[in-house]
Amino acid sequence: MSETLAKLAFPKCVRIESKPHLFCPGCGHPEVLKAFGFAVDELGLQRQVAFGVDIGCSLLAFDFFNIDTIETHHGRTVPVMVGIKRGNPQAISVAYVGDGGAYAIGMGSLLNAAIRDENILTIVVNNAVYAMTGGQEAPTTLPGTKTATTPYGADNHFVKGPDLIRHLNPTAWIARGITTRQLGLRKLMKEALEFVKEGKGFAFLEVLSPCTLNWGTIEDPHATFDILENKMASVYKLGHF
Amino acid sequence: MQETFKIVICGEGGQGVQSIAKIIAQAAFDQGKKAVYVPYFSTEKRGGVTEAFAQIGDFVPAYPKFAKADLWVVLSQRAIDRIYEYLKDDTKVIVNSYLVKDLSRIARWKPVEIDAGRIAKEEFKKPRVFNMVMMGAMLKRIPGLDKDKFEAALDHVFASKYAKDPSLKELNKKAFDKGYELA
Amino acid sequence: MGNEVLARAARAAGATAMYGYPITPGSEVLLWWAKEAGSEKGKKEGMVFVQAEDEIGASFMLLGSVMAGRRSFTVTAGPGNVLMQDAFSMCEAMRIPIVAYINQRGGPSTSTVIYSQSEVTLTAFGGNGNGYRIVYAPSNLQELYDYGIKAFNTAWKYRFPTFLLADGYQAKMMGEVEIYDPHARGIEMVDTERYLLEEKRDRPIDQVVPKPEVHIRLQDGVEYSCYRNCLNLEEETLQVNMEIKEAWDKVAYEIEEHESYGPGQAETLIIASGIVGAAAKQACDQLGGKARLFRPITLRPFPAEALKAAIKGAKRLIVPESAIAQLSRLVKEILYGVTDAPMIEYHRPSIGINVDEIVDLVNRHHV
Repeated sequence: MSETLAKLAFPKCVRIESKPHLFCPGCGHPEVLKAFGFAVDELGLQRQVAFGVDIGCSLLAFDFFNIDTIETHHGRTVPVMVGIKRGNPQAISVAYVGDGGAYAIGMGSLLNAAIRDENILTIVVNNAVYAMTGGQEAPTTLPGTKTATTPYGADNHFVKGPDLIRHLNPTAWIARGITTRQLGLRKLMKEALEFVKEGKGFAFLEVLSPCTLNWGTIEDPHATFDILENKMASVYKLGHF
Repeated sequence: MQETFKIVICGEGGQGVQSIAKIIAQAAFDQGKKAVYVPYFSTEKRGGVTEAFAQIGDFVPAYPKFAKADLWVVLSQRAIDRIYEYLKDDTKVIVNSYLVKDLSRIARWKPVEIDAGRIAKEEFKKPRVFNMVMMGAMLKRIPGLDKDKFEAALDHVFASKYAKDPSLKELNKKAFDKGYELA
Repeated sequence: MGNEVLARAARAAGATAMYGYPITPGSEVLLWWAKEAGSEKGKKEGMVFVQAEDEIGASFMLLGSVMAGRRSFTVTAGPGNVLMQDAFSMCEAMRIPIVAYINQRGGPSTSTVIYSQSEVTLTAFGGNGNGYRIVYAPSNLQELYDYGIKAFNTAWKYRFPTFLLADGYQAKMMGEVEIYDPHARGIEMVDTERYLLEEKRDRPIDQVVPKPEVHIRLQDGVEYSCYRNCLNLEEETLQVNMEIKEAWDKVAYEIEEHESYGPGQAETLIIASGIVGAAAKQACDQLGGKARLFRPITLRPFPAEALKAAIKGAKRLIVPESAIAQLSRLVKEILYGVTDAPMIEYHRPSIGINVDEIVDLVNRHHV
């Protein structure tokens, strides 16, 4: 089995039976999860990670890994992973959530976990839309964007998560990556995991990611990359914070 | 069957209603009596109404509250209406006459008027000890509790406070004795 | 006071983590636990206390901590109990043994901060499940301690979310209690188990967690445990619900507890729980043989067979409660078709019921 994985250039901790994945064609989640998996492999953490997924497209990551996984209620992944870490200090506790789970329903728990400098890694997959439920506005939807609940265009307010977290927590590890930079993403994942492994506190990684279905670009990769790498990345800055 | 001695106290949040009741229950327990105390209040720390219920006797009552009181104490004017329902014919009544001016509704119970607020301010220069004055007055009306043993129990309850400020002990004792004397 | 008794009970039971949010009338438990966890002894033992951002955070942290294998609990009341139902539902679905002490206060909404019996339905049947939660209703300070400890064993042995349904009077009451070390009384605490990151299991975890919700993956000789509650097919959710029901039905009888008090030939049967049960007990003493009491100690599972036995020979049933029909509803469900005896319901929502009131009630209806 491991040989097959090696040939396919997948992380060793990936569950080969989960291929082909359940995400939409062109979805960013598989890129994020792949980067995460490689980092877990490199650091040898497969048996130490507790992996929490939210409700939304992130729940499709449930099948992805041979890693102890818990699917929580919507917006509750961060507090559950905090509880797991507090309950078992040896665990490497990771919350894998979308922009709604992080910045809307889960915002209270997220910010307070950052304030308390809880020793967990939160990965936010930011595609600026509530995908699983049919493309409604998200806290990160950019001004003027037409979504299922903003048919006349979204308003001018949006959430810059990493800046917000940095404002609350001066020592946390914070970065933003993008699915189109896979190697860079693996590096960020590794840094983030090392940070929490060493007990240094709160780690936060937002990843800009495409949603080809709800962006309406499932047939047009160029349009996808234009939105992702031009529109989104010009507002949501990449790099360390 | 025997009855317990039932005490109800009512006042404004912040006046120390709960402290008084708790201390009496604790002191009674320290003297080997059975005691139970339960509070009722609206907002937790300040700003609302507060009532305290204590029962002292030779057995533990199964239920901490009661319908009619043997000793009935009010620290503020509106407390009269608040706990009026707990009065029966032979209830003993004590009021903090510093704040409770209009006694018309309870005149037939011949309330013992203790100007605890003024005494605390003018004689002891410490407004806070007014509830020690009230407690002294109350103790006179609680059967089966010994004054000296009660004061020993007070020392026990306030041990950490007295450790920080030993002058408090003397002050409390004087305030307490004054209330006892006046009742 | 009652809240201190609760805190000590959890400690004596071997709980080492508490996640909570301040709410009257339960906050003293947080204070006691915060102090204990932050003391030299507490720190050495690795005790955990987290004051969460709200009850939603606290209840999900509790869930995570229990899944990490740590004996953990929370305290809440009223609106906090309402908020925690999200987490409690997940526990109900996935057989996660959280323990929660509920100090009922006025309801609905914010109401008064001290007392009611209005959270019976919420605690027993809250969330979007079918009420597979264990609920103990203590009636005095000693029971707060005894069942405060027992709740942990019941939870971990049977793997249902377990509640101690007290109220603000009991929580704020001062009185005599015997505090003891359970081991000294031969009470052994049931082992906890890690749902996640467990090295060695005594039995497969899918004998506890409904099979559609758990997926064990094997790689290179290592087992990985994966849990979900989002299901795809109707067959899956049917199976989850039936597995939970079957597990419950097998053990309900072992868990049920009740108290019967008063002369067996008394014609009036009072059915009351919690502190109202305590008042009813005292009323029976004063009524000289006119009435007897059936006091359910577990509201879920309700001691149904015991109740059916108790009503034999009763000319009338009186159900006093500090709520509107929350206890009587549970009673009616069991007595449907079983008895002709009239039931007199005495509803005093969010208000205490004195011994005298119960005595009057019985006398008024006694023929």
